[in-house]
Parts: sequence; structure tokens; C-alpha cells
Amino acid sequence: MQVSNTIDCNGLSPAPTLLRIMQALVGREDSTSPLNVLVGADCNCESLAVSLGPLAQDVQLASDAKQFAAVN
Amino acid sequence: MLEESSETSSPYASDPETPDFAFDPDDPWTQTFQEGLARADLKDKTVYEVGVGTGINVAFILQSCGAKRVYGSDLDPRLVVLAERNIKILSPEHAKHFKPVHGSVSLVDTDEAREKIAKTDVVIACIPQVGEPSDARLTAFREAQSIELAEGAGDEAEDHIAHYYPWSLFDQYPYNSVGLGLNEALMRRIREHAPKAELVMNFGCRIGTEIICECFEANGYKPEKIASKIVLQHSGTDISFFVSLEKALNGTEYEKQLVCKFYGDPEGKQPLSATKAQEMINDDPNVPLYHEVAVIRGTPV
Repeated sequence: MQVSNTIDCNGLSPAPTLLRIMQALVGREDSTSPLNVLVGADCNCESLAVSLGPLAQDVQLASDAKQFAAVN
Repeated sequence: MLEESSETSSPYASDPETPDFAFDPDDPWTQTFQEGLARADLKDKTVYEVGVGTGINVAFILQSCGAKRVYGSDLDPRLVVLAERNIKILSPEHAKHFKPVHGSVSLVDTDEAREKIAKTDVVIACIPQVGEPSDARLTAFREAQSIELAEGAGDEAEDHIAHYYPWSLFDQYPYNSVGLGLNEALMRRIREHAPKAELVMNFGCRIGTEIICECFEANGYKPEKIASKIVLQHSGTDISFFVSLEKALNGTEYEKQLVCKFYGDPEGKQPLSATKAQEMINDDPNVPLYHEVAVIRGTPV
């Protein structure tokens, strides 16, 4: 099953958000564009990116889906 | 924390029919669920059970909780027929108040189920929280953490669909990441089709009740734990999913935010992470391990 290029993590606390991103990344067949991750407005994206480590370069975090269009 | 539930004897004169494809009604999960149902204020209410199984809960809430009417459906179409038979055996005077939805019903995804849900006061459910071991994406995640599936875990028992759900199909739901995708999908459907209905759901709490309550809150319900019991995990149960979650968080600043909750004793005083529990299983596959089962009531906010 192909994973959508955008995943919704809105409402999730940080630990399951990180898990959801990791799970989405291992399930991707097309990794040429970044994975869009919709997070809550209160998400500490910097901290999340640090925890993602090298995987952070494959991810675009935003609290508003409109922000993705500017990138992809 | 609620006190542990006590064992209860059967209130029925006859035993229900329990073929291999049905979840065992004598399992402590069912005992805990019924303790919660007894505290859920079901008198004169219309109740819908998603995943009716043998019908043991329907008989219980009609006979012992005073529910006015109970609807019920199941993904396995054989089970609704079995439930009808069992309710006639267990509680014949109440059998006419059970209104089954026949056929294979995933969650409440048929017109008839939705029509009945719209007339329901309380929705009850105990549905799977572990993705199918053979799920390709779940396998990829597990392998990315270098976690092996337990021997025999990929074999499909007769009651397979009572224990596992197709994980990838529920990936649109955020809490699928911790095994709650099917439960979250049900919450969203009930919010849509019966926005005033309460939810009473039975959970294995190996990922902790905190994150289960978070899932309720994220979906518009105020959670309340109304029953709890520490139960013996079935010998041979595969816990690789929980170990994978912990291992994925290792070394991150969030690793202490999600530590799975197993116990080395029936009182629940010796907490164990999934990683530690797996080490103990590796040393002795028959080691007794325990976890909490809890009934959470969700009141729409």
C-alpha cells in the first residue's frame, strides 16, 4: 500500500508523532519528495527534527497544509 | 487508579456456545469489560455493541444492566447468528430486545448499522489494538528496528480477526501509530453519526492508559476509567509491535514519554517495559507476564 505524501499528526503528543513519521517513512515507495507532516500549532518542530536525526531531511513539518504547497 | 476487579461467577443457568472462531467469553478481558458495563449507567438505554462476538455482553447488559434495547454487529457474519442463539439460551426473557445487524459489518460501515447507531445512547466495543503481523508496512517498521516477529505469530488462528486489524488500512488515523487506528476510526464514526452517544470501550493498556485517554480527547470525548484489572498475558502472545515502538524512540528526547506497561506480577507492582518483557520471554517463553485491561468511558464534549 502506498503511503500518502501528507500525514496528519494533529492532536498527537510528541512521542506518537515521532513514531507516526518514522512509520510513514519506512512505508514510502516514492521518496523523491519530502513527506509532508501536518502537526498541531503547539508542536515544537525544532525538537521533533532533532529527534528525527538524519530522517529530518526527508520531512516537511507544518501546522497549516497550505504551507506545503509552497514547497512541493 | 481503580481497585482491581474481583472474579465474578456466571449468572446464567446454561453456558454459551463458544466455537473456536469466537473470542473466549471466560477470558478476563470480558470479565473486566462487564465490570465496566455494570458501572456505565445503561439502565433504560439503547446500546450498540460493535463486535458482538458470542453475545455474552449483550446478554449481560440486557439481564444485569437493565438496557432497554441492544443492537449488535460483527465483522465476522457467523458471530451475529451465534450471538442470537446464545442470547436465547442465556437470557430468553430478554432475547426480543436484541436487534442484530446481520452480515459482515466493519465498525458501523453499513446503512443499517448507521441507521441504528443514530438511535443509540451508548456504543460499546472491545476491538483489536494490534496490527496484523503480516501487514507489509508494519513488517517494514518492525524490521527497521531490527525486531523479529515471535515464532508462530504470523499464523492465523480461527479467531484471528478478533485479535488483529489491517493496520495499513487505518493509517489515516493519527493514533494508528500506537495501535489505536481501528478504535480511533470508530470514535470518528460515532461522532459523525451519533454525536450525543457515549462510548464505553475495553482496552488492553500495554501502551498505557494515558495515551488511550489522549486519543479520546483528540476525538472530542472526555475519558474516564471505570474498570481496571491486571490480567495474565496469553502465553505466546507476540509483543514485537510494542518493542518496536520503544526501540524507535530510543535515544530521542521522547523515549521516556512512551514506555509500554507490562508487569511481572499479578498485582501490577513490578512494571516492565516491552523491551524488558521481551527479554524475559526470550529467556523463558512461558514466563508469566501481566498487563492492565481497562474500560474507558468517553463522554462527548
